[in-house]
Amino acid sequence: MIKKEKVTERKTDFKYEIWSNELQKIYGKKDKAFEAVKKINLRVEPGIHGFLGPNGAGKTTTMSMLVGAISITSGEAKIRNEDAGSVAARRLFGFLPQDPVFYNHMTGEDYLIYMGKLGGLHKTEARKRAQELCAYFDIFDDRVRPIGEYSGGMKQKIGIAAALIHKPKLLILDEPTANLDPIGRASIIEKIKEISKTVSVFVSSHILSEIEQMCDRVTMINNGEIVISDTLKNIKKKYIGNTYQLDTNKNQEILQSLEKKDYVQKAWIKEEDETVQVIPKDADRLQTEIPKLILDNKAIMYSFHIPEVSLQDIFMEVYALGGSKK
Amino acid sequence: MSLETIKKKTKSLFLRVKSETVENEAFRNMLILTIKTYQDLTSLKKFLISLVGMMLFPIIFLSFETTIDYNSISVQHAAAAISIQIIFPMFFWTLGIAFICIIGTSGASLIAEEVHSGTMLILVSKPIRRIKIFLGKFLGLFLYGAVLSFCAVFLLGWIAVLRYSANLLHFFALMPFLLASYLYSLVLLLIFCSITLALSSIMDRPRNAALGVLFLVIFSFIGMMVLKMFIADYYEDYYLYHIDLGYHLSNIYISFLEAFNAIPLVAEWQQWFAMTTGVYETASPTDPDQDINPGGMIRTDYYLPIFSLLIWIGIAIGLLAYGLFSLKNREISV
Ligand SMILES: Nc1ncnc2c1ncn2[C@@H]1O[C@H](COP(=O)(O)OP(=O)(O)O)[C@@H](O)[C@H]1O
Ligand SMILES: [Mg+2]
Repeated sequence: MIKKEKVTERKTDFKYEIWSNELQKIYGKKDKAFEAVKKINLRVEPGIHGFLGPNGAGKTTTMSMLVGAISITSGEAKIRNEDAGSVAARRLFGFLPQDPVFYNHMTGEDYLIYMGKLGGLHKTEARKRAQELCAYFDIFDDRVRPIGEYSGGMKQKIGIAAALIHKPKLLILDEPTANLDPIGRASIIEKIKEISKTVSVFVSSHILSEIEQMCDRVTMINNGEIVISDTLKNIKKKYIGNTYQLDTNKNQEILQSLEKKDYVQKAWIKEEDETVQVIPKDADRLQTEIPKLILDNKAIMYSFHIPEVSLQDIFMEVYALGGSKK
Repeated sequence: MSLETIKKKTKSLFLRVKSETVENEAFRNMLILTIKTYQDLTSLKKFLISLVGMMLFPIIFLSFETTIDYNSISVQHAAAAISIQIIFPMFFWTLGIAFICIIGTSGASLIAEEVHSGTMLILVSKPIRRIKIFLGKFLGLFLYGAVLSFCAVFLLGWIAVLRYSANLLHFFALMPFLLASYLYSLVLLLIFCSITLALSSIMDRPRNAALGVLFLVIFSFIGMMVLKMFIADYYEDYYLYHIDLGYHLSNIYISFLEAFNAIPLVAEWQQWFAMTTGVYETASPTDPDQDINPGGMIRTDYYLPIFSLLIWIGIAIGLLAYGLFSLKNREISV
């Protein structure tokens, strides 16, 4: 009942670019069976959405089900309103696989035209759009060369262009920056950000900093399970807590004084950088009392702030939790 | 278009979200695959090598001395005599072993290679049904074979005419024979494109698919022939003709020729078929010195030719369906 309501609700407004319900993938049979994706509920809203997880987490498997390359063991998935794998759904997205393989003897332009025609464009339109995309990706002069001669970065660009050629509403990119040098990475990330202003993007990566650079929203996956899915802002807020960081030349003494204060809930020294970490009971009082505390201890204050939590910290924390659950 | 104008236009590249994409007009994108497949298969060099390969064995036949003075007999007789010279190499090699091997080795990679190398992954993510990918490639291979056999059949006819009489009229008189042979080659193509494509979508390596076809050809054309030559009794006693593809094919071919009235039914060429395919009684009394043997040799008639035809077209369609089915359900990953 509830499931049905959800579906009809989605039919009226395209709330999600990608939506899945208990989506599961089991590879192999019987004693060799391996559950690579464990009944996940994906919610990908318009905009640019990151799909983050370490190698082997199940990103490629999930995306392969979404694009219809492999079968869905159980559950369902939709691209906008269309069943994942249907021709109608495939018309809506463009897909760049992890480590894409091309016809090396074809030129970049011919390849794009071919893909465009397969995607339903007429020849003249396909050619026009192929040239536009080559220009957009700065490979206009190379478009007449065989793809086999392209560098890794150029191949990735041709791959994204091929995904865009039939004017999809959504791009599904599986680790588009893997195997690229730093400059190549930066330029691909730049393009993806630009494209995402007009086409929704669902992009996977095992590299946090990349997702952090590109995405507003992120779904983290580990061992085939979604561990977190939210906006980056919310994730940070949630995990940031209200831990203050204080650094002086007398951290040990400061810590001892702090522990006695009634406005402090907990204080400790962080091992890595030997700074004082404080969780206050009353944040306002902590902030007003700190200067006095410093003076009393005749200390010199280097810094006092709520540190920006990097996704890396959250990532580590989330995965540490996941690990301890087992 | 210059780079500058394109760059200017590019600003609107992603804004034109309102898609002008045409709805899939029935089979348009399938035909695009067909054309691509055909183009990939046809390089001039490969095509010429294939043609030459298909001519090798017949040329040996054509080098045999002949006592007939082709220009002193009627055009019909001359054409008939020429067709008698080339019918067996045409069946056994040009439209037999050579042709099928070419189709098998060219077609084996069509699906297996794309799956194995990883290019299929992008293909199946495009808005085109897998059935159309399969049929598109099938048609591409069929088209390639149809062009190749057309060239081979008529080239062989032309070479034979040049060899014996160099008379253009003889070439025209040879038409019924050449057309019947070409028609037969299309049936053969249907069967072997199906077998090849099915193997290509079942096997995980292109090489295995090619080996499958080669094995079938060698088994039915050479294996069965050897078997018949050395242990002729077994052939009938163990009903080997049931599984003898060579028998069924010659049964079909000869019936096509009969239907077109394309060749005189004489032992001179029939004996070759009797020896290799079991379509004629081997024991039938013939006098090889006699030019015309009215009625010729006796057909074995294990199968009505129409049944041979229907059975193998049925097998072809069954294999096609199986290949389609296995591609449809195949897990595509790199
Ligand atoms: N075809 C397959 N057969 C069996 N197991 C597979 C197959 N493909 C992937 N796996 C397993 O599924 C898990 C998830 O893999 P994958 O989706 O590729 O992860 P990711 O893309 O996040 O690195 C891995 O443990 C991998 O070994
Ligand atoms: Mg992956």
